Amino acid sequence: MQKMLKKYFPVFALPTLAAFAISFLIPFILGVYLSFTEFKVVSERKWVGIENYIRIFSQDETFLNSLWLTVKFTFVSVLTINIIAFSLALLLTKGLKGTNFFRTVFFMPNLIGGIVLGHIWSLIINGILGYFGVDITYDPKYGFWGLVILMNWQMIGYMMIIYIAGIQNIPDSLSEAAAIDGANPWQNLVHVTIPMVMPSVTICSFLTLTNSFKLFDQNLALNGKSPDTSLLALDIYKTFYDHTGLKLAQWHGMGQAKAVIFFLLVALIAFIQLRATRQREVEH
Amino acid sequence: MKTKRRIRNTAVYILLFVLSVAFLAPIAIILMNSLKGNFYISQAPFTPPDSETFVGAENFIKGFSQSDFMRSFANSAFITVFSVAGIVLLTSMTAWYIVRVKNKFTRLMYYFFVFSMIVPFQMVMYTMTYYAFELQLNNPVGIVFIYLGFGAGLSVFMFSGFIKSIPNEIEEAAIIDGCSPIKTFFLVVFPILKPTAITVAILNAMWVWNDYLLPYLVLGSGENKTLPVAVQMALTGGYGNKDMGALMAMLVLAILPIIIFYLFCQKYIIKGVVAGAVKG
Amino acid sequence: MATITFRNVAKSFDNGKFTVIPDLSLEIKDKEFVVLVGPSGCGKSTTLRMIAGLEDISGGELFIDEKVVNDIPPKDRDIAMVFQSYALYPHMTVYKNMAFALKLKKMPKKEIEEKVMWAAKILDLEPYLDRRPRALSGGQRQRVALGRAMVRNPKVFLLDEPLSNLDAKLRTEMRSQITMLHKKLQTTFVYVTHDQTEAMTMADRIVVMDKGVIQQFDTPQKLYNEPANMFVAGFIGSPQMNFFDARLENANGLKAKSVGFELEIPKSKAAFLSDYINKNIVLGIRPEHFISPDEAFEKGSCSLTVSAELAEMTGSETNIHFELDGKRHIARIKSDKKINRGDKIKLLVDPETVHFFDKETSLAI
Repeated sequence: MQKMLKKYFPVFALPTLAAFAISFLIPFILGVYLSFTEFKVVSERKWVGIENYIRIFSQDETFLNSLWLTVKFTFVSVLTINIIAFSLALLLTKGLKGTNFFRTVFFMPNLIGGIVLGHIWSLIINGILGYFGVDITYDPKYGFWGLVILMNWQMIGYMMIIYIAGIQNIPDSLSEAAAIDGANPWQNLVHVTIPMVMPSVTICSFLTLTNSFKLFDQNLALNGKSPDTSLLALDIYKTFYDHTGLKLAQWHGMGQAKAVIFFLLVALIAFIQLRATRQREVEH
Repeated sequence: MKTKRRIRNTAVYILLFVLSVAFLAPIAIILMNSLKGNFYISQAPFTPPDSETFVGAENFIKGFSQSDFMRSFANSAFITVFSVAGIVLLTSMTAWYIVRVKNKFTRLMYYFFVFSMIVPFQMVMYTMTYYAFELQLNNPVGIVFIYLGFGAGLSVFMFSGFIKSIPNEIEEAAIIDGCSPIKTFFLVVFPILKPTAITVAILNAMWVWNDYLLPYLVLGSGENKTLPVAVQMALTGGYGNKDMGALMAMLVLAILPIIIFYLFCQKYIIKGVVAGAVKG
Repeated sequence: MATITFRNVAKSFDNGKFTVIPDLSLEIKDKEFVVLVGPSGCGKSTTLRMIAGLEDISGGELFIDEKVVNDIPPKDRDIAMVFQSYALYPHMTVYKNMAFALKLKKMPKKEIEEKVMWAAKILDLEPYLDRRPRALSGGQRQRVALGRAMVRNPKVFLLDEPLSNLDAKLRTEMRSQITMLHKKLQTTFVYVTHDQTEAMTMADRIVVMDKGVIQQFDTPQKLYNEPANMFVAGFIGSPQMNFFDARLENANGLKAKSVGFELEIPKSKAAFLSDYINKNIVLGIRPEHFISPDEAFEKGSCSLTVSAELAEMTGSETNIHFELDGKRHIARIKSDKKINRGDKIKLLVDPETVHFFDKETSLAI
């Protein structure tokens, strides 16, 4: 089979590989290279070494601000989303009638795209704040918590579905055995249910973690007009396309350098996740 | 005991009901406002339309005619359909090739595909856009090719995982029965891959349909713009008086196809999205 | 008409890094039922897959019907194969599974239907033609796999451990079905198994393989009665043949001295053994060739007394496990007495049934 199939490389693998190389692989390599240059357009570039990386921290205070904001935002969303999603999953696995309807409702926001979602919430939040005569740009706190609410609204249903699957995978006999051993519902939750859904907790934590960390569309739609509430992805975008002060070539080089740092942070999270998953697989 | 349980269940139901209302409220508010006159949207955003404020389908008609909404909708539909079809077909073929032809080169390809999954878009957005313009892929047909490249990571990964679980013997039986590799793939392997193909199709469809930054950079905000770009342009572009009614109608029209799609294929969507999460 | 000939065929993987089959020559006759048997990893499946064309041949030549097929793709070899996992197409009905190969050959629909119905009738599959493989039992799936091979009317039938996924009862049943099928179809069958019982009951001739080398190629009867070496002797027969180290001495006639007993060499064998006087040899005694003193038996010129460690009643016979010279052995005797652990038991041996092996080469003498 292997020998026969090998000849069919142009049919089976080449189209995907070509598209992959042109839209991802080559741009990625070029991107790493450009982060060490100043460039107005890709063809006119000047090697500057690690100058861009230094400049990010010395001349552009937005990067550290948005990094800190992203970390805060990610922390708060991971916590709130997972706690609420898990609680909902518990309620919906009690064998009540009509759980399917609730599941459908809670999951629905997840399918709506970030841009549309951001504008829906922008209208609502501004509508509420309108009663107090301000809008979302008035205080960075509004933008931050608006984003947290939005993220919760979008992700809770999704995580809830994963938790439900995890809870349903626990054999009934386990809770029954615990009940016979004299556990009350609370003890059953703490000593049986939660330890048994730890795999789902890992998956959900990392999903919410990466999704929050990389958030862009929602951020642009909701906080595009308030400069103090840009998360990392939006800050990089703005460095490239929306800036004043330095020369264009410097902004571009700096934007690419920020992107490299952003990539390394995301890769670090992915690496930790891989370790966490592997470790669990070994234990079982 | 029984009454205690009944009280508890009622409490749970009330809680769930309240939460459902909270989850549906944003969509309901948009829908509500899309039926109200322009003036009342900013004045009283949270009151339902009454005989005075109700304007019927007027906003929707405006929404259709004012912005080139239909055009963007068609662009999005075209790009989504062809990208998803291309991704499902071509990445499943590639995944089969990678799994069945074992050598250093295919292993390296696989690692590259998996690697691409963890790279955030911002890392390649500028350089990718550069190549898209250089190679004249900055049109609705060319962007399908770009989506194939970006979708390849997750899709190849998911197909490979499933193909590894298909016993080699089935394909050997097909070879003995007289299939060429191409026939083996299309008559035997691909039909077996169907469940994964549905998952991959749903995940990619949700992504491409909702994607904003990539089509914005590649296609711009001109006549080739996609729906999310059109929404973003309409709601943030320019100063002065915006036609809030038309914008509300636009948001409703942007959500509607997704919700209809969801209500019809709910089972597959939830399964697909969860499978994607657990694998990725 | 189909003969299969291997001429100095070699097979290695990873560009010669791992050699599975160093040098194999073998001739399979037309319409013969040949079973390849051996422990796992002995190269029997690789041999079969080379006939099928699923593995390349690294050296030598393979003929099907006088024609070199080294570079002929599987579909042009006119062979059919039944896989261990059945390898049915999960998305096709039973009918479509069987019709698939014919459809690819662009055979007319009518003819396809005739062939499939013919196979379905022989294999009792008629009620299941519209089902998917998932909805069938293991035995039924196995029959579909056979049917898929049958409809093509191939020159050669290849079967790769087709019964090893079935339970014991079904296996016995399918064994006779396949034998009958062979008689009915009148084609060459090559059958791979690790189960010597299957080999013994089904084969016209058996190829015993170990480490990629043919140990012996002969009829079941011959393998049992005249094993070529200790490997074949140990592999064929159940329970396994017992081996005793012994020393051949010439004192009042040829005698083999072992720990615990002494064996007088019968005249029929004495001539062959004359070279081994004062040398170490190995005696092979099949468990079923031990005789209990309860049985009327005269010729016994050799007896040994052993202490039973375990006695398994199998009905008409009893398997007695005992230890001698640090090795475990089994004797199968007719006995209606209850034997307990630790009982001393006298066993007789008819020297005519004893096999002699060279200790160095492990070849039969």
